[in-house]
Amino acid sequence: MSPAPMLDVRDLVIRYRAGLFAPRPKPAVNGASFRLEKGETLGIVGESGSGKTSLLRAILRLLPVESGTVRLDGQDWLALQGDALRGARQKIGVVSQNPFLSLSPRLTIAEIVAEPLLAAGARQGPALREKIAALVADCGLTADFLDRRAREISGGQAQRVAIARALALEPGLLILDEPTSALDVSVQAQILNLLADLKESRGLSMLFVTHNLKVVAHISDTLLVMRRGDVIEFGRTEAVIAAPAEAYTRDLLSFGRKAAAG
Amino acid sequence: MPLLDISDLCVRIPTPEGEVHAVRAVSLRIERGEIHGVIGESGCGKTMTGMATLGLAPKGARIEAARFHFDGADLREQAKALRGKRIGMIAQDPAAALNPVLSIARQMDDVIRAHRTLPREARRREAADLLAATGLPDPGRVLKSYPHQLSGGMQQRVVIAQALATGADFLIADEPTTALDVSVGAQVLALLRKLVAERGLTVLMITHDMDVIAEACDRATVLYAGRSVETGPVEAVLQKPGHPYTRALLAALPDAAPHGARLAAIEGSIPPPRTRIAGCAFAPRCPKAMPVCAAEPPPERARDRHTWLCHLPEDAA
Ligand SMILES: Nc1ncnc2c1ncn2[C@@H]1O[C@H](COP(=O)(O)OP(=O)(O)O)[C@@H](O)[C@H]1O
Ligand SMILES: Nc1ncnc2c1ncn2[C@@H]1O[C@H](COP(=O)(O)OP(=O)(O)O)[C@@H](O)[C@H]1O
Ligand code: SF4
Ligand SMILES: [Mg+2]
Ligand SMILES: [Mg+2]
Repeated sequence: MSPAPMLDVRDLVIRYRAGLFAPRPKPAVNGASFRLEKGETLGIVGESGSGKTSLLRAILRLLPVESGTVRLDGQDWLALQGDALRGARQKIGVVSQNPFLSLSPRLTIAEIVAEPLLAAGARQGPALREKIAALVADCGLTADFLDRRAREISGGQAQRVAIARALALEPGLLILDEPTSALDVSVQAQILNLLADLKESRGLSMLFVTHNLKVVAHISDTLLVMRRGDVIEFGRTEAVIAAPAEAYTRDLLSFGRKAAAG
Repeated sequence: MPLLDISDLCVRIPTPEGEVHAVRAVSLRIERGEIHGVIGESGCGKTMTGMATLGLAPKGARIEAARFHFDGADLREQAKALRGKRIGMIAQDPAAALNPVLSIARQMDDVIRAHRTLPREARRREAADLLAATGLPDPGRVLKSYPHQLSGGMQQRVVIAQALATGADFLIADEPTTALDVSVGAQVLALLRKLVAERGLTVLMITHDMDVIAEACDRATVLYAGRSVETGPVEAVLQKPGHPYTRALLAALPDAAPHGARLAAIEGSIPPPRTRIAGCAFAPRCPKAMPVCAAEPPPERARDRHTWLCHLPEDAA
């Protein structure tokens, strides 16, 4: 038997509550089904309003679902409650688009990366300090960054810190919401390389959301395209790229190819 | 004669910590009817070049140039007079460019009234015509709307219609699609191309996105650390780049490498704008750097109308 997938989502429906007398709104996510195998990266693309963030928030249990199932590492993820849920949530690390908004500007990098560890009950001391230094080093930053403050570093460095913090509790699944959209291409390349290294060295599974189909086509093993709440494509990345089933996906892929194709 | 003719533009901005060299030596020659892309990483001086051309450089900024001309007029004296008449601006965030508490009808009318003497009914027709020219399907309904009732793509079309209403024939578009979805951004770029073809507009397109250059521009200029380092027809710049920086930028794109392979990241970062630079600004990061590179300003290399600044001889590029 093959090992349980990291994430197995079936017929997921998410609907926001309307006002008391307002008509029932359309679902934000309309019956999504997909799997993420362990050690793989699933790319999610779609225009704004297509339901990407709602999907991530539901997987993080920050949003109730109307129907459907989510299994995380074989576990019935939607059934977990209270302390069991809080503990299990550590299996998921999160990195968001704007690193500066998610890092407190006045804290040092060491304090930022320590936050989740302290919240999970770790004690201050040399062991903690060592662990933080190792995390920061794994994310490509030298030890002299530990005492700098978030407001003194560049966007690419801030995103490395955000990744280090997301990995602090050694999650098996990393959720990244537009992690390179605010970065220059040279820095984007550095971060994509870093993610590939971490996937390899830590056996991480990743959910990578972006509006940039070329970025996700490069780093993902499987690809999911959303439109207005519907999953319009899901499959191995090479297969989707080679033969997109939907005109929408073809348009996204062809953007910027005019001059490049000569 | 190029419509916009800039040679060695330099913009220094006073700050409490000393002078910031926001633009060091930018040259831009833009012919009528062309969409000219200006590309480079953040902080390389794209926006400040556009702002100086619009007469909107910060207070106290020192602007120097060997040439800084628009249609024969010296921009050092005339930029403010030309803005809103011949030179229009399309910014990244259309929501910020529109007034949230006024209807689109009112905002279009304000612009039309400032530039033309027309009776009220004719102004209303003109507003509807301009909105239709930007591809908005139901101009009457858009006129009755407020900005928040329109999508980002529709708002950007209204901003373009306002620029057309001023009668401007030269538009400076600073990252006009960055805040939009890819498919919506592609439609806005197609609209700009159509307006250039139909109305003889000329566009300076500022972007950090090579796909936008490939999709929309005729010629492109690459900026690095406040200098224009390469310029030429888009096909030449993208397919046979001469400058090692342009080549590095293109190689860093995710579609430049096979699926899953490591990307060719550019190590290091741009020099801070207060640094003094004697030779080539890219030397600390350049895989081809030679001793002369850091010491002396690089000479111009050329292949037809495609030029770049580099110590490497043309055949080694
Ligand atoms: N808090 C909310 N309340 C009501 N509707 C929402 C809320 N958040 C998102 N939506 C709606 O759900 C749909 C999907 O939104 P979202 O998941 O944010 O998409 P994306 O992340 O792809 O841009 C949209 O129609 C959006 O308007
Ligand atoms: N108002 C300002 N005061 C001081 N420095 C500025 C100001 N505006 C821009 N700069 C600096 O000038 C350089 C060029 O900025 P900008 O033209 O905005 O770059 P780009 O648009 O290419 O990202 C940057 O180093 C930036 O920090
Ligand atoms: S002048 Fe020298 S350092 Fe600069 S781009 Fe050319 S080879 Fe590289
Ligand atoms: Mg979102
Ligand atoms: Mg800018």
